[in-house]
Amino acid sequence: MSEMRYREALNLALREEMQADERVFLIGEDVGVFQGAFKVTAGLLEEFGERRVRDTPISENTIVGMGVGAAMAGLRPVVELMTINFSLLALDQIVNSAASIRYMFGAQVKVPLVIRMPQGAGHQLGPTHSHSFEALYTHIPGLLVAVPTTAADAHGLLKAAIRDDNPVIFIEHETLYGRRGEVPDDQEPLRFGEAAVRREGGDVTIVGISRMAETALKAADTLSSEHGIEAEVIDPRTLRPLDLDTILTSVRKTNRAVIVEEGWPHGGVGANMSALIQEQAFDDLDAPVARVTGADIPMPYSKPLEQASFPHEEHVVQAARATLGEI
Amino acid sequence: MATDVLMPRLSDSMEEGTVLKWLVEQGGAVKRGEPLVEIETDKANMTYEADTDGFLIELLAQEGDTLEVGQPIARIGAEGETAAAPAAEVPAAAAKEEREPASADGADQAPAPIAKANGGGRVKASPLARRMAGELGVELARIEGSGPGGRVVKADVEAAADAGDQSAEPAAEASPQPTSEGRETSPRAAIPKRSGDSSPAPTSSAKGEVSIHEPTRLQRTVSRRMAEAKATVPDFSLELDVDMTLCIELRERLKTQTDRAPSFNDMVVKAAALALRDHPRVNGAYRDGKFEAYSRVNVGFAVAADDALVVPVVPDADQKSLGEISRQALRLIERVRDGSITPPELSGGTFSVSNLGMFGIERFTAIVNPPQAAILAVGALMKKPAVDDRGRVVARDLMTLTLICDHRILYGADGAQFLAQVRELLEQPLSLAL
Repeated sequence: MSEMRYREALNLALREEMQADERVFLIGEDVGVFQGAFKVTAGLLEEFGERRVRDTPISENTIVGMGVGAAMAGLRPVVELMTINFSLLALDQIVNSAASIRYMFGAQVKVPLVIRMPQGAGHQLGPTHSHSFEALYTHIPGLLVAVPTTAADAHGLLKAAIRDDNPVIFIEHETLYGRRGEVPDDQEPLRFGEAAVRREGGDVTIVGISRMAETALKAADTLSSEHGIEAEVIDPRTLRPLDLDTILTSVRKTNRAVIVEEGWPHGGVGANMSALIQEQAFDDLDAPVARVTGADIPMPYSKPLEQASFPHEEHVVQAARATLGEI
Repeated sequence: MATDVLMPRLSDSMEEGTVLKWLVEQGGAVKRGEPLVEIETDKANMTYEADTDGFLIELLAQEGDTLEVGQPIARIGAEGETAAAPAAEVPAAAAKEEREPASADGADQAPAPIAKANGGGRVKASPLARRMAGELGVELARIEGSGPGGRVVKADVEAAADAGDQSAEPAAEASPQPTSEGRETSPRAAIPKRSGDSSPAPTSSAKGEVSIHEPTRLQRTVSRRMAEAKATVPDFSLELDVDMTLCIELRERLKTQTDRAPSFNDMVVKAAALALRDHPRVNGAYRDGKFEAYSRVNVGFAVAADDALVVPVVPDADQKSLGEISRQALRLIERVRDGSITPPELSGGTFSVSNLGMFGIERFTAIVNPPQAAILAVGALMKKPAVDDRGRVVARDLMTLTLICDHRILYGADGAQFLAQVRELLEQPLSLAL
């Protein structure tokens, strides 16, 4: 077990997979000489050379398109996009090509492509850099979606993503890059579709997505110490496939659910998850499924407005208490 | 394909109804639009017509049974069709199972009446509470919900189940009755119950013989609504004397024109209606924490009927002439007396007038008729000493009006201005003709 930062855990996973498999290569803006906008690819150009760590011009649709082609031809590309906002430039390649090709050709070709990118607000980068699009990608069949929160999950899930034969949208979080966490030595890839129960409790289930798993945990501590409410906190870790069983098992125990996400409320991950919960655990619910989401607006630049636009601990505390009829 | 006849909602406030008389025998032919059954609502007895052709293949409610609105009371199908129906066709399958055996004469073993703690119609409960109630044999309708909007939640069902364990006796009383299929059923709100004139059961006490009478549905409604009003309405009264000299003169002159001259009460109704138009708050209602204002002025007036009290309504009284109001009021009173009044004639009131002047009552306070904002209590018209402009004591024809107001919507000054306008109109009754 060694302690490292989230970005170092990602770097380790890339290095291990590149060492183990010649077909794995990195491509993206500033991933080489500059070592990545968030330093995730530090030292890799030096170790693996220009052939396997490729800097590109600013042209997201082309970068992803090259990734799709390389994957179809038998390589295992890992594309880095600087933020998830920029991935919208590559939506045609992601949706119309990467997600669809295996289906279009009856599985004669596959697209083992990983697209890594950070999302999230908090750094005053305005609406063109700060959004959360996990809902957008979860919407699309043919893609796998990972939203790791801890250093260990970042490591284990990225290794799994690289080894998977499906295109994977790998969503990192800008705020989490500096977080330290324990990563097991020689950790094997984690399985997609296995949620982590971060905290056990019998009163209310809180599902936190991406950074919101962290926020949910803090809220759970406050709920326990100040309100005597024991929350069970679940980090789904991957949204496609989604480990609904773990969520349902918890809801059947607590009879209440709060879903916390940084993204927008309409058509959000929480909207979808709450539909799944009520479809499959209707008779176990003692209160409507609650959602805590980002504000329904493009992300503001102003610091106070930006802070007010995504969920914080107190919002989660309030929502959880409401499901217990306390507010 | 058989269809269910459901207990109809025959008035706004109707929550349940009693089957008084089936007008078609079991197995008999029914025709769309023809009388099928007589139903007692909270307001009146109504004849309900069939809305489909066919044969009355099954009676699900016997005469005397009381069921919630929406519960099936009979099935209409093809001639010779059997009563057994696919479960999917019966919206409340459980309710059907719980009916008494059609042949058994269980009339005297009435199940305990159901206290509807949860308000009318559908019981609001969380899905979990609903499931647990079924498993624990607790009746949701009996539970007061503690969740938002009175929703019954898990904790409420658990508390009710605990309470049930501690008093095992009532639970046993409400326990399953065998059905015609011989199966047991769980107790539920839909168990038909008897109501009305069960024969008095005399008992003896220090007060001598006690005979106990079941109140009629109407009397129960009156007692519930009046208790509710007294418990929840913060009321206050305003009072003033009206000089009726010119009203008396007007009425004497009208008498020479018609043998059905408008009564003083009709004049009060007309004056109140005109003043209501100018005082929307008085014509409004306080309902669920909100003020409601109505575009129509419908004045109800209390009529004592055979051991009961009803308030028929003169709709759009502000638009009607004094003569029209008088004729309509007379018709309504006759219909109350002969029992042919129907719920539509008793509903929609935005204000009420109660008059006990004919009994010599000088002044009184009444209970606000919720959710209305106020009620006007009219005392006797009599000669009383008054002081005129020059300080002399003179005899005047005075009548005391008392306005009882719900302070949640109607404040002192508003009520006073309204009442003053009613007085002005009555003291210059020519304005009633405008």
